[in-house]
Amino acid sequence: MTALLRANLPVLVVIAPLFIAFILTPLARRIRLVETLAFLATVLGLGAAGHLATVVFARRGSPFIYQLGGWPPPWGIELVAGNLGVIFALVVTGVSVPVVLFARGNLTAEVGDTGRVTRFYVLYLLLVGALAGMAVTNDLFNIYVLVEVVTLSCCGLVSARRHPRAAEAAFTYLILATLGSAFVLGGIGLIYMLTGHLNMGFAGQELGRVWPDYPHTVLLAVSFVIIGFGVKAAVFPLHVWLPDAHATAPSPASAILSGLAVKGYLLCLLKFLYGVFGGVLLRELAVHRILTLLGVAGIIAGSLLALTQEELKRRLAYSTVAQVGYLVLGGGLLNATGLTGALFYLASHAVIKATLFLAAGAIQAATGKSRIRELAGVGRKMPLTMAAFTIGSCGLIGLPLFFGFIGKWYLLVGSLEAGMILPVVAILAGSVLCAAYLLPVIRTAYFRPAPAVAWRDPGRPQKLALLLLATAVVVLGVRPGPFLELARKAAAELMAFV
Amino acid sequence: MNELWPRLLVNYPYLAAAILFVIGTFTVLTHPNLFKKLLGINIMESAIFLTFVASGNIRGGVAPIRATANAEAVYINPLPSALMLTGIVVSVSVTAFALALIVRLYRVYGTTDLRRIVVRRKEVTGDDGFAQG
Repeated sequence: MTALLRANLPVLVVIAPLFIAFILTPLARRIRLVETLAFLATVLGLGAAGHLATVVFARRGSPFIYQLGGWPPPWGIELVAGNLGVIFALVVTGVSVPVVLFARGNLTAEVGDTGRVTRFYVLYLLLVGALAGMAVTNDLFNIYVLVEVVTLSCCGLVSARRHPRAAEAAFTYLILATLGSAFVLGGIGLIYMLTGHLNMGFAGQELGRVWPDYPHTVLLAVSFVIIGFGVKAAVFPLHVWLPDAHATAPSPASAILSGLAVKGYLLCLLKFLYGVFGGVLLRELAVHRILTLLGVAGIIAGSLLALTQEELKRRLAYSTVAQVGYLVLGGGLLNATGLTGALFYLASHAVIKATLFLAAGAIQAATGKSRIRELAGVGRKMPLTMAAFTIGSCGLIGLPLFFGFIGKWYLLVGSLEAGMILPVVAILAGSVLCAAYLLPVIRTAYFRPAPAVAWRDPGRPQKLALLLLATAVVVLGVRPGPFLELARKAAAELMAFV
Repeated sequence: MNELWPRLLVNYPYLAAAILFVIGTFTVLTHPNLFKKLLGINIMESAIFLTFVASGNIRGGVAPIRATANAEAVYINPLPSALMLTGIVVSVSVTAFALALIVRLYRVYGTTDLRRIVVRRKEVTGDDGFAQG
């Protein structure tokens, strides 16, 4: 039995949440059971991902290759759990546990009756499973299918909120995300036409051989892939859907959308750019320069836009646009340090943004206020929630000893190694701007007199979720060792293609 | 240049796909009516499906079914068509979901025109924290 489980680990991480998602629907009347099952599914996913990490670690760098249905590549779908897959699977499953804990017994106000809450959990688990799938898959068309599962469940999660603005935001999101999917599928189609392969490894090798013969088609494929994933990952000029969608979604959904879903697309983009197109092609077409510029523009513009927002959740949503800029920038540096920074920052931002969005959601639920200037005194009335928010803010600004610092540090060193000064300026300016848009929230919450109303910290599961995430921000900031090592190895895996 | 047109005409499915793709993208991005946006998405996706299926086609080829074809028949590549079945299923789901959202928006705002929704947003939803932008 254990041998069987161990042999099928990479696929278990994906299908555990997917399978449990589909048995939830008929249990809608027993909402406690649904919540417990959803929680167990994420814990199971985390357990599988953790076990997978130890297995991959024991293999010393050679990835765990799994052939679905026993069909060998290039015919069958291949799952490859290397360090890159492991780090992302760990982040996805790790963040999904506290978020589902936060949702426990807490969704009725935002989502509605038990049937709707159950459907929320179904979509949530589909999203988690598909994101874990993105981590391990090595097949172009499989990526497209997972991208669509993620897209549809994200839009469903946004529209789960009973508010007309949520339906509107979900529609815009759906249309633009489907536009992105069409571009991605077009890119996959062009790659398939050029290479005759859907397996990323085979397609990459073949493309490396044939691309000088078809320069225009390759250029088209690269631009389709970048635009497609760019829209879906909210890379700066293509981010227009994100603030509405992430600000109007129910809070646990906001946390998972901002923390994980966007990262899934970025991971896919990295897999395409490095694994399929390869470093030579990227340099030839100057794709890395374009990515760096997009990243710099995203950091500055996203942070400035965040500064102008009056609502807490919208400010956090624009901040996500800025943080996506860091990751794109790291992907464009084309050196191991920059990539390590990007991957590590991906993990930090997932944890930190989940903390911030959950804390913001708890505050909004308790006070009924969403504007930052109305939050005077929240710090004293809701000490634990605001403490988690403060720790998350310190992490996002990138203060030393918090989770966000090391990723930004590596990005900085990576930019210097690449000999570029513009990213250095952008990274530093981004941190300063981040302090400028988050610290006023903390100041208002702690140092303005509180109105005489009874606001209270949320219930026990919510407190536990915030505590878990805030602890992770501090612990992984103080002792990043093993995780940093994993990020470094994952970056080395990608750099092998350059 | 004089070589371009014959080559384009020989590959007319791709030319058609490119035209459809541009029409679809333009409609999605510029049309204020929600239904038209959805139609634009569908046209775009059809263009992609056409590219895929055309890439597997061989002129004069037959479907790769051993029992019905003679020995020297040239088979077309069935894989792109099979993949596009999945693509079509996804496209149908997206369309269904988008239509459901349009119905929900119509019930609230009484219109499917994005410009009028923006005008009515304030009076319908009021200032409950979502009023800005």
